[in-house]
Amino acid sequence: MGDIGLLGFGPDGWGLVLFRAGLMTLAVSVAAFLCGLVLGTLVAWARVGGNRVMRALAEAYTVVLRGVPDILVIYLFYFGGRQVVAAIGTALGFAGPFDISGFVAGMLAIGLISGASQSEVLRGAYQAVPRGTIEAGRVVGMGRFTLFRRVIAPQAMVTALPAMGNQWQSVIKESALVSVTGLVETMRQVSVAAGTTQEHFLFYAAGAVIYLIITTLSDQVFRLAERRSLRGHQGAGY
Amino acid sequence: MITASIGPALSLSGLRKSFGHNEVLRGIDLSARDGDVISMIGASGSGKSTLLRCIPMLEIPDAGTIAVGEDSLSPKGGRLTRTEDAIARRMRGHLGFVFQNFNLWPHRTVLENVIEAPLFVQGRSRAEAVDEALALLEKVGLAEKRDAWPAHLSGGQQQRVAIARALAQHPRAILFDEPTSALDPELVGEVLKVIRRLAEEGRTMLIVTHEMGFAREVSSRVVFLHQGRIEEDGTPAEVFGAPKSERARAFLASHFDRNR
Amino acid sequence: MDLTFISGMFQKILTGLPLTLNLWLLSLAGGACLALTLNLMRQNRIGNAIAATYVFVFRGTPLLIQIFMIYYGLAGFGFIRQSFLWPFLRDPYWCGLLALILNDAAYSSEILRGGLRAVPKGAVEAGRVSGMGRATILRRITLPIATRQALPAYSNEVISMLKATALVSTITLMDMTGIARAAISETWRAVEILLCAAVIYLVISMLVTRASAWLEQRLSPWQFGRTTP
Ligand SMILES: Nc1ncnc2c1ncn2[C@@H]1O[C@H](COP(=O)(O)OP(=O)(O)OP(=O)(O)O)[C@@H](O)[C@H]1O
Ligand SMILES: [Mg+2]
Repeated sequence: MGDIGLLGFGPDGWGLVLFRAGLMTLAVSVAAFLCGLVLGTLVAWARVGGNRVMRALAEAYTVVLRGVPDILVIYLFYFGGRQVVAAIGTALGFAGPFDISGFVAGMLAIGLISGASQSEVLRGAYQAVPRGTIEAGRVVGMGRFTLFRRVIAPQAMVTALPAMGNQWQSVIKESALVSVTGLVETMRQVSVAAGTTQEHFLFYAAGAVIYLIITTLSDQVFRLAERRSLRGHQGAGY
Repeated sequence: MITASIGPALSLSGLRKSFGHNEVLRGIDLSARDGDVISMIGASGSGKSTLLRCIPMLEIPDAGTIAVGEDSLSPKGGRLTRTEDAIARRMRGHLGFVFQNFNLWPHRTVLENVIEAPLFVQGRSRAEAVDEALALLEKVGLAEKRDAWPAHLSGGQQQRVAIARALAQHPRAILFDEPTSALDPELVGEVLKVIRRLAEEGRTMLIVTHEMGFAREVSSRVVFLHQGRIEEDGTPAEVFGAPKSERARAFLASHFDRNR
Repeated sequence: MDLTFISGMFQKILTGLPLTLNLWLLSLAGGACLALTLNLMRQNRIGNAIAATYVFVFRGTPLLIQIFMIYYGLAGFGFIRQSFLWPFLRDPYWCGLLALILNDAAYSSEILRGGLRAVPKGAVEAGRVSGMGRATILRRITLPIATRQALPAYSNEVISMLKATALVSTITLMDMTGIARAAISETWRAVEILLCAAVIYLVISMLVTRASAWLEQRLSPWQFGRTTP
């Protein structure tokens, strides 16, 4: 078994590097999750309130992203993104070589993947809002936007929160796939360290622990949020 | 239909059961001869369900003896040994149990609910089990529902299926835990009617109920349970007409006031 | 669009289909057995702790790291290289399959647990009072209700596993994704190649969705308002 000192924060240790890689995992996950949230909201909205074309498009999007391996989507964004950038670059008369950042490709790809499942969660949460409360909003004269902001969103959020926690967890784990683009996040960094030191088990185990820490801590955060949202719910006089 | 043999169909002696510090049964002695119809009444929390659930060992008593026909068990320490468990299963085979909430198996049709135990516990042949089950469903008035799913039946119908299922055990005694309490008022009658028929046939039954009128009419005996002890035990006329204990009198007074 | 290129590419990628299907179906089978075992273990306190830890670790870390840990990490232990397992653990196929099984078991066991929790307590009690033993209750009541309850979630897991098999391409296996990846480095026509592969996965997963909807109706007619079985 390898030398635990390799994981230290001293000059010979990989500690600091791994810590930074952990932050990168967090950064790319947050960016991707937010992308997914925006996309998921739009798609859920299209499925609930859109016209027939929008509904069909939104549904096709969720079906496709549900059925295609995440890693293919990431490759598609990474390689495809390069092709697009190169095409634009050449058209504009720049000389190559062209590349796109792994961060952007990863963020968009995972955002796209996560958006599909987030839209399902949000749609379910919307449908769980009691019709009566919406009608109650209508009869006091609320407009669509006010109705959404004051009546629908607060209630839907409470239902959606636990499932959104799961979505966030998936995003963290999917972010490991971004390592194939060369972005130095946790997965990539532990592979490099494992290769350099030939201490494969030690570093992959360290990587696993980093992910466990991130997932566990964020689980706590979501639980806290859930409790708070529930408290607000009861406080509002239901 | 009823296999009369020597000794009581069912007998309990010195039965005790606690949940944590809550002593629910404090020494129960009760026995039923073949053909007895015993109604058990008492306030909520007096231990009626617990007593009934101890008989097939759904709850394992802390002390006391339970005998069903020729089998008897005196479990110690709140758990069953392997041999005791085998005896308990044989005892259950001689009992029918009807739950307050019916507890039909949701993934089996009406007919399948009735033939399940005959096929998979008693190892009877399918043809025989089906014939008998159809006769039982006929008897509870649900022959035409044989292929329906439990979820599509009314509460009263579900409870009648549950009774048919209990009868398919060829039980020496049938135990009912408030069989009509979960039903809408207009459905109570159809279930009571079936139970009344069983009483007329001479079935041995132990019925926990809040239906005082019904208890008075069908029972050969009524027992009143209070805080884990049997406080009254006598014919309906004795218990309802001239209760000996103050508490039974108070219970009956409040009950007849509230319900009638 | 270059149709000959695309049809050639479809044919090429489809040569990886047997390996993809093989890993997918075997990992589902292995994962299901392990998931059932994990749930049976949960009956006593120590078993419960072990199962909970297992699920925590395998659901809390990315599959990719699990694959690498098994393929690269285990080789670092002398006793493993000496053991009879080595011929398997040096082979990327067995490592990939093992990682997929272990990963699927963690998710499936939670799905099954949810299903088991949804079994009404009264249905089990009704089984007990009619004299059924533990095994009969498990076989005739608990598992049938639990699996039917868990079917929608499990069909998602089945599709997830199909997608997960694509990750074994990172340890040199030539499944559909591995072939696509190799073709990209030969031709650099990434987008066409990736779309070809994506279409094949998509078709399979849509078939699974259809099949599971059909199965759900068939297995749980009592939830769909039909009165004859
Ligand atoms: N599984 C259990 N664990 C802990 N306490 C229990 C359990 N089952 C019953 N009790 C307690 O035992 C006491 C008697 O309950 P039981 O259900 O036997 O009353 P009951 O006479 O049937 O009342 P009811 O008329 O409301 O059905 C109650 O105080 C109850 O809280
Ligand atoms: Mg009760």
